[in-house]
Amino acid sequence: MQQIPRHYIYLLLAGVVVWQLLAPMPLPISPSTATRGLYEAIRAVPEGKLIIISTDWDASTQAETWPQTEAVIHACFQARKRFVIMNMQPPMGVKLANDIALEVGKQYRARYGVDWANWGYKYGYGNVLMAMAKDIAKTIGDDFYGRPVTRLPLMQGVRSIRDIGLVVEVTGLAGVTEYWIGLIQGPYQVPFAAAYTAVMAPGYYPYLDSGQMKGMLVGAKGAAEMEALVRSPGKATTIMNVQSWAHLLIIALIVVGNLGYLLARGRREERRQ
Amino acid sequence: MREALQSLFLLRQAPNPTALAICLGLALAASVLLLYALHRLLGPRGRRWLIALVTFVGGLFFGLEWFYPARGHPSKNFLTDWIEPVSNMLTVVGAFTVGLGIYSLSQVHGRNVRLRRPGWHNSLAFFIAMVAMFVFGLWEHYLHLREPLPKLVPWPKGIYEILFSGLFAPLQAATFSLLAFYIASAAYRAFRIRTAEAGLMMAAAFVVMLGQVPVGAWLTSAIPAASGWSFFRLEKLGEWVLAWLNTPAQRAITFGVAIGALAMSLRVWLSLERGTFFSEQS
Repeated sequence: MQQIPRHYIYLLLAGVVVWQLLAPMPLPISPSTATRGLYEAIRAVPEGKLIIISTDWDASTQAETWPQTEAVIHACFQARKRFVIMNMQPPMGVKLANDIALEVGKQYRARYGVDWANWGYKYGYGNVLMAMAKDIAKTIGDDFYGRPVTRLPLMQGVRSIRDIGLVVEVTGLAGVTEYWIGLIQGPYQVPFAAAYTAVMAPGYYPYLDSGQMKGMLVGAKGAAEMEALVRSPGKATTIMNVQSWAHLLIIALIVVGNLGYLLARGRREERRQ
Repeated sequence: MREALQSLFLLRQAPNPTALAICLGLALAASVLLLYALHRLLGPRGRRWLIALVTFVGGLFFGLEWFYPARGHPSKNFLTDWIEPVSNMLTVVGAFTVGLGIYSLSQVHGRNVRLRRPGWHNSLAFFIAMVAMFVFGLWEHYLHLREPLPKLVPWPKGIYEILFSGLFAPLQAATFSLLAFYIASAAYRAFRIRTAEAGLMMAAAFVVMLGQVPVGAWLTSAIPAASGWSFFRLEKLGEWVLAWLNTPAQRAITFGVAIGALAMSLRVWLSLERGTFFSEQS
């Protein structure tokens, strides 16, 4: 029981994934307090203020971060809140998020530059945020398409970080949150929320507990919960079915491995006696 | 001085593209000359002192700007207006490091191709991929600058989409997704209850793993959500483990890391860290 060849394990896992993709078993999804926090934070953004969605992720984590970004954008459009996408690392995230916003925007007949915009990739983490806090237009300069952001209608009246109503950071990269909280949320009291991959989320619970973070999406589960809140089941809901059975398979494998280990230990002790 | 620096970085918005190109060329030539002169004139000791000085001034600037009391509306101190040009300078330095990375990669892979070393075709693939992305990426970017925008999707954009969305992104996602198979296999082989602590860890892992997926809620759905026993529903139990057990532990780790980072930052700022800034050469 301790020696199942790894090829069989790979096959089993692939089988479970394919089974759930082809014939998903609908399972209940109930939004957690952390997900509700993010949803409510988006709805609470005052008229005239912008939401920044910082998409610091790339294709390696897109199974979780893509549906998270998609669900957050749905929530923004549904609540009629204007938002901007920006990205500090890795640069790929800004293009992927742009594709998502273009696709989701079609459903809401959203117009680029009026309902949403893309500030593009900005190099420099801390110094970008410090400069942005004082003067957004000067710091950002051009948008994703290379045109000056000052020409975008949605930027009218947006000068400094005080004109931002919420920052939502979607990331698979540790360390960016600390910049947002240290340089923007703390000193300027700009509401902050985030969406993380499931593996890194436990590290950020202290910020949620202290109230520095209004809400948090935890992995694909958080995205699926957000999809349930915005009543637009998508990728994450499907992923959660797959992940559910994959988790059960891994737990079963661990139990089988440990049963084998305990039986073998019992036999060894018998022989010794 | 500050205005001169700002105007230097605002050149990209200049209405005259020829003047912009000339200025960029001159700036690049001046940078190369300056770097070459510094390289020739300064020995390892001189370079170390120069880097230590720049590091110290940079750290002092950001530290002072942050902590020095600000007044007025919008609140500013005497350094605030310098933040933007200094940030632009850092961006330029960052761009130089990208150039340095490309140069270094080209050297390594160029040698592989030239000497037909084993696996040289991988190096050739690197050059083809880099040049293709560079050319079509830039082409696509400059198409966006055209106004009014073209109605038909131009072919360079199509090729860029194939390279980026059709190749690069799926390749990266596929590579990372292989981890799922390794994790499943590793968990089966390595996760053994040898001690009571390992048993406790496994119990917590099972609760969190099941609490993070809808099947956990489904397994314990027999417990009414409004009853006093609802705490034992797996999704609630999982959330409790993360919020009440994980949070204090993570907070303690964060405090420890922050103190360590502060000490490390001080050492880097004051150039006390051994092994940096050519200290091994001298």
